[in-house]
Amino acid sequence: MKALRRLWVYPAALAVLVVIAFPLYGVVLTSIQREQDIRSRDVNFIPRYIELGHYQAVLDPGHIVPIREAMMNSFTVSVLTAVIAVALALPATYALYRLPLPGRSYILAGLVSIYLLPTILFVLPLYVRAAQFGLLDTFTGLVIPYVAFILPFMVWILGAFLKAIPVQIEEAAMIDGANRLQILVRVVLPLMKPGIGAGLLMGFILAWIEFLTPLLFTRELRILTVTLGLYRSTYEIEIGQLAAAAVLTALPLIVLTVVFQRAISQVITTGAER
Amino acid sequence: MKGRRDAPARIAPAARPRRGRVRPETWLAVAFIAPTILIVCGVYLYPAVATLLYSFSELEVASLRIDRFVGLEHFRGAVASEEFKAVVLRTLYFGLMVVVLTTVPAFLIALLLKERFRGRNFLRVIVLLPWALPPVVSGVLWSQMFHADFGFINGLIRTAGGEGNIIWLGDPVLALHAVIIAEVWRWIPFATLFILAGLQTIPPETYEAASVDGANAWQKFRYLTVPLMWPILLPVTIFMFVWAMKAFDTIFVLTQGGPRMGTTTLNYLVYRQSFQEFSFGQAAATAYILSLLTLLVIAVLAFLRWRARIRSGEVAS
Repeated sequence: MKALRRLWVYPAALAVLVVIAFPLYGVVLTSIQREQDIRSRDVNFIPRYIELGHYQAVLDPGHIVPIREAMMNSFTVSVLTAVIAVALALPATYALYRLPLPGRSYILAGLVSIYLLPTILFVLPLYVRAAQFGLLDTFTGLVIPYVAFILPFMVWILGAFLKAIPVQIEEAAMIDGANRLQILVRVVLPLMKPGIGAGLLMGFILAWIEFLTPLLFTRELRILTVTLGLYRSTYEIEIGQLAAAAVLTALPLIVLTVVFQRAISQVITTGAER
Repeated sequence: MKGRRDAPARIAPAARPRRGRVRPETWLAVAFIAPTILIVCGVYLYPAVATLLYSFSELEVASLRIDRFVGLEHFRGAVASEEFKAVVLRTLYFGLMVVVLTTVPAFLIALLLKERFRGRNFLRVIVLLPWALPPVVSGVLWSQMFHADFGFINGLIRTAGGEGNIIWLGDPVLALHAVIIAEVWRWIPFATLFILAGLQTIPPETYEAASVDGANAWQKFRYLTVPLMWPILLPVTIFMFVWAMKAFDTIFVLTQGGPRMGTTTLNYLVYRQSFQEFSFGQAAATAYILSLLTLLVIAVLAFLRWRARIRSGEVAS
């Protein structure tokens, strides 16, 4: 009886699956169909063949929108951003949650309120300064705003992990005669490994998806990031190629999400327990 | 610190310097936080102040330097303009729709994912995926869904026997709702997981006790789940509203704010005024109006949460 009553979950799960996955399925489907079939009014929902020509075309070195170079640029910028953001946020978080920091609550409140305000409020003068300092179209000019836009969130993530480590462990080490630096390197850092991993992961993802910054701060193809490249593709290439470029843009993040599903779910819901 | 080895080590942030001496730990804390504070000042505080100055000024287009101060002219012009009023109302409508259309389905999906069933982990991954996609990708994806001639949505309508000739992105009202759907799809993962995490903190004993008392499924949902979930739902609505106010990439890719400004929200208007019309002063004023509007709505939601907490406190005591 009880098993029977729970049968509702399967139709419900199927409905959720179809609604959420349908657009994703659609774009993958488009990317493996020939252009004349895509442009047909008789929309096929089930592929009769698989044609990888669009992927070949967009990955070709001479392609009008260099997606391959763009992916490499984005990879460089995202790794740099993740590493720098974690390296900055880690000591900041420790100072905020474990050290006698004057004005601590004001700093925390400031970081939260920054996150609530629209990015566009900060972008205009940044653009003006970047232009004056010659930072447009440079990796530095991208990584600085990326890191800055991610930093408040990073402190929030690392803070959640740090708060989960009992203070008593550090106190015990201190009683054993360890100084603060020793405690940091030998006790806190090893315990923070999962937090650092989560921070790097989130930093990479958030940098990879960034769009407004490259849109405003870069113009040259040399420094094209993958999201901007995809946007450029919307008016320069065929629909099938656009779909293939979209799949390629999303692919690294889809892989990361599937592999680290639990960690990501845990991190983005930090704070839901209270 | 001298001679205090036996006392519990002072790690708690509550520690204050005594007798006017700054403890070395405080210096360490300041050194640790300094880079972050510097970046925050450079990338948030300075721009926020500069934007405020811009909003009272006219900027020279070529050099982007402040040319002259015009006082409240930009704000007055905005408030007097019918077009601007329409943008504000559209932005609020957009925010409200994103909040409601995300939170309600997310609650239902979270209730589903709380159950144990075969394939639950697979479904969790699928539900998370839209969050991990770059918003530009979801823009491209939904532009293909909504395409008038060979889009999948019109295709479905045709398969179901309809005409399927709806020009989704060509009509201001339809296009606005297309953007809303794309945004909702993107935020359902976060809202679902956030609500699910909240649902899992309700101890199962609560439900068992209710079952013993003879409560049916609906009563348990209405009198247990919903009241216990209020404290979770309010932060979710705040997050959703904040993100809806920040929505840009999806609008940019799907409709560029058109047709006939039908999908221009305040955030998009700032972009248009600054980087397309090059009136940075006006754009700065719009950015401040958007920020104040966002903070105002957050304040109202926070007030509602506070009142709910007081009320549940009264029930408890």
